[in-house]
Amino acid sequence: MSGRLRDSDWFGPFLVTVLAVVTVTAFSPSFLSPFNVQILLLAISVNAMVAFSQMIIIAIGQMNLSVGAIGGLAAIAFGGMMEVWGLPWPLAAIVALCIGLLAGLANGVLVAMTGISAFIITLASLSIYKGINLGITEAQPFYAIPQAVKSIGNDTMLGPLPWLVLPCILVAVGLWYALERLSIGRAVLAVGGNAHAAELSGISVRRVTMIAHAVSGFLAALAGIMLVARLQIGQPTIGDDWLILSFAAPVIGGAVLSGGRISVAGTFFGVALVAIFTQVLVLFDIDPFLVQIVLGALILWAVGINRYREVRARRQLGVAAP
Amino acid sequence: MAKNDGGRGARISPVRVLLSNEFGLIVLIILFAVIFASVSPAFLSKFSLYALGRTAAVNIMIGFSMMVVIVTGGLNLAVGAIGVGAAMTGGLLMEAFGWPWPLAIAGGLAVGAALGAINGVLIVRSGLHSFIITLATMSIFFGVMIFLTQAQSFRGISPAFTGFGRSKLFDVLSPLLLVSVAVGLLLSVLFRLTALGRELLATGANERAAELSGIRAHRMITVCHVLSGVLAAVAGLMLVARTGAAIPSMAGQLGQDWLLPAFLGPVLGGTLLTGGRLSVLGTFLGSFLVTMLTTGLLLMQVGAFWVQTWLGLLLLFAVLVDMARRSFLSRRKLA
Repeated sequence: MSGRLRDSDWFGPFLVTVLAVVTVTAFSPSFLSPFNVQILLLAISVNAMVAFSQMIIIAIGQMNLSVGAIGGLAAIAFGGMMEVWGLPWPLAAIVALCIGLLAGLANGVLVAMTGISAFIITLASLSIYKGINLGITEAQPFYAIPQAVKSIGNDTMLGPLPWLVLPCILVAVGLWYALERLSIGRAVLAVGGNAHAAELSGISVRRVTMIAHAVSGFLAALAGIMLVARLQIGQPTIGDDWLILSFAAPVIGGAVLSGGRISVAGTFFGVALVAIFTQVLVLFDIDPFLVQIVLGALILWAVGINRYREVRARRQLGVAAP
Repeated sequence: MAKNDGGRGARISPVRVLLSNEFGLIVLIILFAVIFASVSPAFLSKFSLYALGRTAAVNIMIGFSMMVVIVTGGLNLAVGAIGVGAAMTGGLLMEAFGWPWPLAIAGGLAVGAALGAINGVLIVRSGLHSFIITLATMSIFFGVMIFLTQAQSFRGISPAFTGFGRSKLFDVLSPLLLVSVAVGLLLSVLFRLTALGRELLATGANERAAELSGIRAHRMITVCHVLSGVLAAVAGLMLVARTGAAIPSMAGQLGQDWLLPAFLGPVLGGTLLTGGRLSVLGTFLGSFLVTMLTTGLLLMQVGAFWVQTWLGLLLLFAVLVDMARRSFLSRRKLA
């Protein structure tokens, strides 16, 4: 049992997260104050959506550079529809989510139909979506966000638990269930593990690719909307700094970039770890510019560990590492 | 043309020439030049052409920087971070240490080479894909640069150096463009005529086969990354010469703003993303076309904010056309 626990993808990040919390609290007890916990949970809720959005694409062995651009586009669409058209916020949110879904689907269709690498397709669409964002907003934010949205983004529902935790939990459980229990989830992992074998066993690789990209776009849009609620402003720059984080968290959670192996719980703890590190830099008054270095170092450390585990697992099976 | 089959003795059919990337790019460049000139006469003014050449020079260098890594079948997301890092080093050496500008440039190039070497060694030693390694180092390099400079610019650039960046030859030509042409020629010589260049190409085409035929593939991959770092540094330093200051945000957050021009040039120019084949002339023309389109769109006042969308559509269009072209060529070969 302990061996299985140690080999599971989420256990390592989980252990490090607990250790980090204990260590930081020992040095600075205010770390676990309700207010601080609330701030931490808000950051984790939004960033988890960003990470899941990338994770689902990593699962099929591809990458999506346009996660941030889709999130930003959905965010300004959400803000703009409320301010300019005066739409009620639930309707605006639904339309913005649909925009994200369609933007992701467009990526998926292009990748599936042309066979061109997802890297190039999403690099192009990153530029297209970001350009549309800037073309609409001319780099000016939308300020008129309804009070209801602002309170969803900042109020707590129970103790230090903010409302934004709710969509995060729903998505995490939903993704876990879909990937572990539903045939579409198994198909996603099969395509990531070996697309050719998946095709031969009757899975439509094209369909799975399109679905995964659509889900990714949807989650990116959800992250953008949640961030609008939290920042209380429809910023055109939302999503600009998601790229590194979106890869860091899944990789810390044990994801293999060649596909087929991801962990929802691991990714979640990856997000938590990054949030804690960022918070610590603020809490101890360390230079905030160091965040980028820490994020990069975390990625290198995580891919190093994943690689080591892979090599060790192969050695145990008696197969030479490639 | 030679890049299409890599062989010098291969028969060159007229169809192949007409369908080659370079020919297509030249046609497109002329076509768009005519369109822009007829819509807005200001496009052909001396200043406009000078500004175009100056901007193109930097974009061409960014394209080269990515091209030499793509040829190994990898990529380098850290080109922007390396370029800015080198530019800031040059600025620091000139302003704070008072070094003469040739020495400061050498310092900047050395930093570019060193950062490229870090990428190369990490990739080769870990056996991981260059995507994830350079994603991490992009964050680290940029973070270290921002931390050390505290996001402050260096404006005490040697006047001789900025004078070079701002001078005009024959009223229209920027010397920066000549630097790009010279670097392009050097790269052509490297990849076409030297043993090292052939070994780099062989490694990119098939690493294992190259290894078996006695090429030290790992060393070749590292060489490509060092070269990429140096070229990114040249681009960064050119930008300093042009603007007269070393600014931490000149390539955007984490240097991400360089990514699109970095891929547009080589991809338009017919460099294979899977490695093993490149076209220096194609990259040069591709980057030039992109710069011209950007300048032209700005002149036609489509709105500066929409330019990015058009560039994205261009990249999409380019890869689709390239796909169609290649399937046409392979069908012809079969027929």
